[in-house]
Amino acid sequence: MSSNPHSVIHRVLQSLSSLRLGIVLLILLGLAASAGTLILQRPVTEPETLRQLYSPGALRWLDAVGLTDVFHTRWFVALLGLTGLNMLLASIERFPQAWRYFARPYRRPEPAYLRSLKFQKQIPIRSEQEGIQAAEWVLAKFGLKPQRVVQTRGISLFGERHRISRLAAYVVHASLGLVFAGGIADAVWGYRGSLALGLNEQRNVLDSRGGAPRELPFTLRCEGAGQENYPDGSPRRWWSKLAVVEGGRVVARKEIAVNEPLTYRGIRFYQSSYGSTGQPSAIQLIVARKNKSESPRTIVLKEKEPVQLDEGTTVRLAAFVPDFVLNGNQIASRSSEPNNPAIQLVVKSKGEEDAVIWLFPRFPNFSPPDRSPYRFQFQDLSMGYYTGLQVAYEPGQWAVWTGFVLAAFGLALALYWVHLRVWAVPTSDAGGRLVLWVGASASKNREEVEGHFAELVEGIEKNLRGVPERLDEARGISVVESVGM
Amino acid sequence: MMQPRVESHPAATGNNLVILVGLGVAFLLGSGLLAVVGHGELVTEQNLLYVSLIFYAAAAALYMGFGITGRESDVHFAWLATAAGLIANALAAAERWYAAGHPPLASMYETLLSFTVTLAVLTLVVESRYGVRLVGTVTMPLAVLSIVLMHLLPSAAHPLAPALQSTWLHVHVTLAMLAYAACAVSFALALMFLIKDGLRTETFLAWSSALLTGIYAGILTGADSSGGLAVAAWNRREGAAILLAPHTPLLVVIPGLGILVLLALVVLASPLVLCAWGRRRSSGIGYVWAERAFLIGIFFQLVTIVVFLQRIYGKEYPSRQAEGLFPTDPAASPFILAGLLSGLVASLLYLMLAWRRPVLERVLPAAETLDRLTYKTICIALPLLTLMIATGAYWANRTWGAYWSWDPKETWALITWLTYVGYLHMRLARGWRGRRAAYFAILGFAVVIFTFFGVTYLLPGMHAYA
Repeated sequence: MSSNPHSVIHRVLQSLSSLRLGIVLLILLGLAASAGTLILQRPVTEPETLRQLYSPGALRWLDAVGLTDVFHTRWFVALLGLTGLNMLLASIERFPQAWRYFARPYRRPEPAYLRSLKFQKQIPIRSEQEGIQAAEWVLAKFGLKPQRVVQTRGISLFGERHRISRLAAYVVHASLGLVFAGGIADAVWGYRGSLALGLNEQRNVLDSRGGAPRELPFTLRCEGAGQENYPDGSPRRWWSKLAVVEGGRVVARKEIAVNEPLTYRGIRFYQSSYGSTGQPSAIQLIVARKNKSESPRTIVLKEKEPVQLDEGTTVRLAAFVPDFVLNGNQIASRSSEPNNPAIQLVVKSKGEEDAVIWLFPRFPNFSPPDRSPYRFQFQDLSMGYYTGLQVAYEPGQWAVWTGFVLAAFGLALALYWVHLRVWAVPTSDAGGRLVLWVGASASKNREEVEGHFAELVEGIEKNLRGVPERLDEARGISVVESVGM
Repeated sequence: MMQPRVESHPAATGNNLVILVGLGVAFLLGSGLLAVVGHGELVTEQNLLYVSLIFYAAAAALYMGFGITGRESDVHFAWLATAAGLIANALAAAERWYAAGHPPLASMYETLLSFTVTLAVLTLVVESRYGVRLVGTVTMPLAVLSIVLMHLLPSAAHPLAPALQSTWLHVHVTLAMLAYAACAVSFALALMFLIKDGLRTETFLAWSSALLTGIYAGILTGADSSGGLAVAAWNRREGAAILLAPHTPLLVVIPGLGILVLLALVVLASPLVLCAWGRRRSSGIGYVWAERAFLIGIFFQLVTIVVFLQRIYGKEYPSRQAEGLFPTDPAASPFILAGLLSGLVASLLYLMLAWRRPVLERVLPAAETLDRLTYKTICIALPLLTLMIATGAYWANRTWGAYWSWDPKETWALITWLTYVGYLHMRLARGWRGRRAAYFAILGFAVVIFTFFGVTYLLPGMHAYA
């Protein structure tokens, strides 16, 4: 070996495509992946939890080597890439040999090759013709599709089955490569995000976790959403009616539910959650003047939509706390359900200071004094609901599914099908007797092939001993075959 | 040296065993029937499950009996008991399906129900079709353990959450159960290969001791400095653990139990140490003492189980997280109990081997056959695992819009797959046969167990419901 660049490249390629490296990579991949599940991962854990569980030193160290976010580190991606590369190179290196088996069946074996076969047997025969015919019949019965091969010394037989299984391993590797390619395509060109829409709200910007908001090429509007419950109150179904708006007009409409997404221009919208926004969509109030005996009237107050009470006086919703609780002297909400709502209104009158009013519908008699000329009484409240959508653009997913199906098919092919080849050559044995030399070779599962081979030989011997009707049948077949030649 | 004893009266022992097991089954069924007469309902899921438990336990006893005596009638009756258990088990699953309105694959309880059915079917198939008559010795105790565990798990059929209402889910979980049951059978076959291949009994002892040490060390992680053992508190009325916050159960401390577990751990680890010592000194005396220590270890295991159960029932214990006394229940600590019981089963299997090895070797098929069958079952498991991962990914994509998100269960399914892929490459490309392949098959099943149980209970993730 010299320092010839070609030989260096050759050696690098050879070690990159070696099975040893493949196994080492599989082990490393397994270890890294298990580390990613045993150590808490940053993207799905609150920073507080991490700080509680790991000491600052340990955490710094884990962060530095990426063990708190294994699946997004460069080294893990490199490991995946290297495994893919190894699989690919190994397949490329070994493929030509398998292809030779597939494309050029070894019909005329050398005598030396025959003698080296693991499964071989010499069966005495009376004439070449009789031996070939018997073997032909039995091979056909075993589904080995016998072919007559004209050799210099006479005629021999070759039969085989499941030749395609020689390529099965490459089918598996290629389809896993397809899965990889799909995954890479999605990682590079695909994106994911979420979208929360209130009723009749429309948006075209996605929130993506830890990334910049992404603009969609069209706008999505929610025209209805809801939840259906089981009798025990747990959610059974969430649904939303979505409309896609493009260039000012609706181009698609669909009611989606969990497991039934909307797909538009390759972008898929999934129902992922449904819930209260914690803010009211509308509040109904009864309003009356404090110092005038005017009949009270009902107004509907919405967020950001002040209502005119009289000339120069407006009221607006300033704040809403769905589940009011006082934490020390801080106002807080225990949940986003309107269990104990607190409503803050601001009344604006011309030339006067704004009046701030608090309403507590659960405690109608409790109202702090205010300077507003109007008295407000709570009547009804409807909460705002949002539908939570997951948005995904995965241009590579079809490669992934195709790859998976092909891989399972290829695996079954590789594991259950054996390429079995059988040769039958009339020749003379050491004692000068005329014999039929039968030999077989199998790509795997040698133990079982041994049984098959024994059956095959037995079948030929039986046939030669002459079960009459079978022999006739066999002759019938062979006549047809020889006519065809 | 604990040499395998020569059979003195195999016929009598064999008959007695069949009669004893038969009487036991009749007694349990009878007492179960009496209890049912009091309540009225005869064919309920719980009763059917109870019947299948009895028959599986009988089958396990008979398979072990066959291992000890080598009598054909035992294995015949064991086969019948397995089949009877399977019928009851399948009916329980059907009842569940009918009552819940969805295939029983949605919770840990339901998947275990389906798993035991698959396991029993595969046991019968491997036995009848391939003539490996001892598979049940390993798989039937596994089925019994699963049903005991099911009794402890919350069994109420919950309506399906929106994300779970998909045909793909059923396909996914069915494939998983089939694959995992195939892995369990390959594990049993690999163990039998090692017996037949002449792996020394000392080595089995060392491995059993290591397994038990692992189990008890795992339990001991719940011990606190005062010598108590922390277990989850249990609300008997609601039949659920008391939670402080989501996924954070309230822990109560049972005093003194930690010390007992530690003691058992020391005794159980000693055979491992003694075997290692004996091996280094290459003297047989280490093994003799190791075997004695193992017998003492079995006694300690029994004591631990009895004390654990006795302490748990009917008493309330203080907690470090909250004021007051809280009750607990075996159902609150399914893992501790499953660990203790599987440790005991493993010990009994070892005893069977140590005392009756020649009989076992006589009734087992040839080592090459077992080796090939191990490979064959893995050949069944691997395409199933591939399809399981594919259907899981497809379902996740339809539900969450992402086919792969490295959630722990997904990741561990991938690790399982990688393990068996490694096995296959070593076998097909490197020609690994025999022991190394058998060890690989055992490792694969260990990974399966972790993926199935460990990930659900020890690691957080979106597979929280299964």
